[in-house]
Amino acid sequence: MTTEPTAVQDDRPGRSGRVRQRIAASARRIPWLRTGLIYAGSLGPGLIAANAGNDAAGIATYASAGSEFVFRTLFFMLLVTVALVTVQTMAVRLGAFTGKGIGALIREQFSLRLTAVALLCLLTANTGLVVAEFAGIGAAFELIGINRLWVIPPAALAIWAMVLFGSYRYAERVFLLLSLGFFAYPIAAILAKPDWGEVARNLVVPNFSTSSAFLLLGVALIGTTVSPYMQFYAAAGVVDRGAGPSGYRAARFDAVTGAIFACAISICIIIATGAAIGGKGPLQSASDAAKALVPVAGDGAQVLFAVGLLGASALAGAVVPLSSSYAIGEAVGVERSVSRRFREAPLFLGLFTVQIAVGATIAMTPVNLIGLLIGTQVLQGIITPIVLTYILVLANRKDLLGAAANGPVFKVFATILVVGISAMSLLLLGNTVLGFFGISL
Amino acid sequence: MDSDPSTRAPGAASLADRAARLRRGRATARREVRAAIVSVAGLLGAPVSNQAGQRVGRVVDLVARLHTGERYPPITGVLVRVGLRVSYLGASSIASIRHRRLTLRTAQLDLRDFERRPGEVVLARDVLDHQLIDVDGRQVLRAADLYCAPIGPDIRLVGVDVSLGTLLRRLGPRGLRGRPTPDRVIDWDAVTPFGDDVTGAPASVRLRNSDRDLRRMRPADLADLLEDLDRVERQSLLDRLDPETAADALEEMEPDELEALLREADPERAATLIASMEPDEAVDALRDLQGVERDELLARIPEPARTNLTNLLSYPERQAGGFMTTVLAAATLSDTIGDVRARLEGFGDNRADIDAVMVLDDDGSLVADLTLWELLTHAPDETLAALLADEQHQLEPVTVEATATVDEVAAQLIRTRRPSVLVVDGDDRPLGRILADDVVDALLPERGRFRFPRLLQ
Repeated sequence: MTTEPTAVQDDRPGRSGRVRQRIAASARRIPWLRTGLIYAGSLGPGLIAANAGNDAAGIATYASAGSEFVFRTLFFMLLVTVALVTVQTMAVRLGAFTGKGIGALIREQFSLRLTAVALLCLLTANTGLVVAEFAGIGAAFELIGINRLWVIPPAALAIWAMVLFGSYRYAERVFLLLSLGFFAYPIAAILAKPDWGEVARNLVVPNFSTSSAFLLLGVALIGTTVSPYMQFYAAAGVVDRGAGPSGYRAARFDAVTGAIFACAISICIIIATGAAIGGKGPLQSASDAAKALVPVAGDGAQVLFAVGLLGASALAGAVVPLSSSYAIGEAVGVERSVSRRFREAPLFLGLFTVQIAVGATIAMTPVNLIGLLIGTQVLQGIITPIVLTYILVLANRKDLLGAAANGPVFKVFATILVVGISAMSLLLLGNTVLGFFGISL
Repeated sequence: MDSDPSTRAPGAASLADRAARLRRGRATARREVRAAIVSVAGLLGAPVSNQAGQRVGRVVDLVARLHTGERYPPITGVLVRVGLRVSYLGASSIASIRHRRLTLRTAQLDLRDFERRPGEVVLARDVLDHQLIDVDGRQVLRAADLYCAPIGPDIRLVGVDVSLGTLLRRLGPRGLRGRPTPDRVIDWDAVTPFGDDVTGAPASVRLRNSDRDLRRMRPADLADLLEDLDRVERQSLLDRLDPETAADALEEMEPDELEALLREADPERAATLIASMEPDEAVDALRDLQGVERDELLARIPEPARTNLTNLLSYPERQAGGFMTTVLAAATLSDTIGDVRARLEGFGDNRADIDAVMVLDDDGSLVADLTLWELLTHAPDETLAALLADEQHQLEPVTVEATATVDEVAAQLIRTRRPSVLVVDGDDRPLGRILADDVVDALLPERGRFRFPRLLQ
């Protein structure tokens, strides 16, 4: 079909991929098999979602929550899980019932200026995430004693080139495998023998504090769990499969299980870290975070953590900048030219390159990596409510979704959720601004 | 295929370029029209004043009647916000439309609620910022701005702006926002918009030039357009094509894209399309769909196509039976060359699958495989029996079993230097044919397009 084979990224599975598709197909029909397969770490969007949430910045944020507040953020994480499930459901519904990505929907449904605002927010949040991913790669190598200045530039170049020249999809399997190291967290959480009574109590009993430290971490937890790009990704996935209204239930099941699974892993990270180094104040270094894996890996904990961190960071390091480029391309209306000639689509290529370059450069500045990681998640948390508002407005529109638009109960619930998240972000912003003037609440 | 003209097939390129040149000479290029062009994006929110120059409201949207068969669709009315209410004013009450300013003919306002008539679209809501097809460039675009201009007594839609710069202009300050920058404008005549059927109005499609051009497009180009469109627009494009043309285009689509298209289409239509496709391509498409979806489609396909497809599906994909075509032209020994030629005329729809005619004896077993060369070079009154008596050895049928692998089929083709092989069952009865291009398809690594959502699957 295309006359330029070299410029086309081969994303068709090979012969073995066909077999994999068959397995996926049969798994789609048998729910328990499918769930089993996700847990086996072989395939499924659930795993992707889990990996998306548990990238470098995610690990750092959850570990910091465990380190600073032990189990006290667990109830909050349950709320975040509910938020994630709600938001992902809306995203998937938009994809299934309109057959369009969220970028395209925003362009068609909002004024051009509002579209620009939304995409600028996404681009900013994602660039922050790219910074975090390269910081994660740096942190992984610093754990084994290699200075990040030596590692980040070649890593950035490698990811950039692999995506451009089409070999990324092979590398991605390796990264995915590496990142499976983090599946050691649930085991670590059990082996660490935490005070389960305490864990249960913190899961059930609301525990909020208005201290700015808690607020900051809370916003970071929202930012890292309900990352804006995940909604774009979820909707795009549904559209791409051609799942229409009749496929919505299956798609929703995917989204919900994926979200719950991702959050379960996050909660395990908090528990494992809380049990290992809880109460020692904010997380200082990646090596502290790695201590949570000692019950599983013993002396190898540092290496296991480094390997997982590298895999997760490298994986997200390509997906996140692609996601913003794709959303913007979609809104501008050039996403399809991208699909044929990735390397020759100037807008797409430019955005992708700039994000990687900015991300790698900021990650090389001599600041505390953990601080940088959490900082990017706070930025995400502040932007999240803006993007959520767009999704909420879209999902509320009857002229867009017809009978599939948010019903009255869902609408109220989702609105409370978005308002709640916005309130936290605004509180944090207010707190920070007041802090500049030396006022603390 | 490719929007870059240099890589197009030469004939297609020159034809399309000629069409494009002709169009460039039309409305948007005429100086007087160019001077009078008004940006629709710029008109949104612009003040509406009455004859006396008093401001009475603001422009909310413009209404145009597409699909009238006219080259440039007329603006039929304007939606105006007066106070808190949005009302409709027919085109007859518009005195002039200028840059960011709309003047009414009367001082009196006859405000009505807007009711969409068939064929009408609300431009800013349904066309601006939405997908449309540029027929000359053979690509799917999003309208960055729409331009209208007074032509004769009417105000008509003349072009679509698709440049990135126009998007930036629209983000800029108010004064700049509506200034037409017609550097990359596509004449409306070369555009297939989707506005009215997307919004669910009765499809009152009347043939426009652009629709005619669509139907004349090469299947591969149409396939690209189908892949590029969003769901509703894609189904609407299928509406405008006859099943044969559509099926030809479907055959050229990427398997993943085709799978998605069939899944999201109405099952009746999907079945019609599959039934119109070449059997081997149809089987490929069905194979990609899973159990229930596939059965649902098969059940709607009329006989005998259904049985044929079901049989083909029973062969594994990578075996000869799985990628052969069952379109076979047959002849008997007593036929003359002229008879065979006449019979071939009936295969017009499947011409891509016919490159030889098999010759059967009275028991229905295979004796020879006649290439088109023999049909051309022998006299019409010569019987096949006579022909075979002379050239039997050259016309020996080349066959493979239905269970042969792709590599075995390829080896057979290479050994015999034939353009196709016949697939036979255990009793040497023909089941189908495999052409060299089918083998090329099967051997080449499948090359999809870059799809971000699939990056991690």
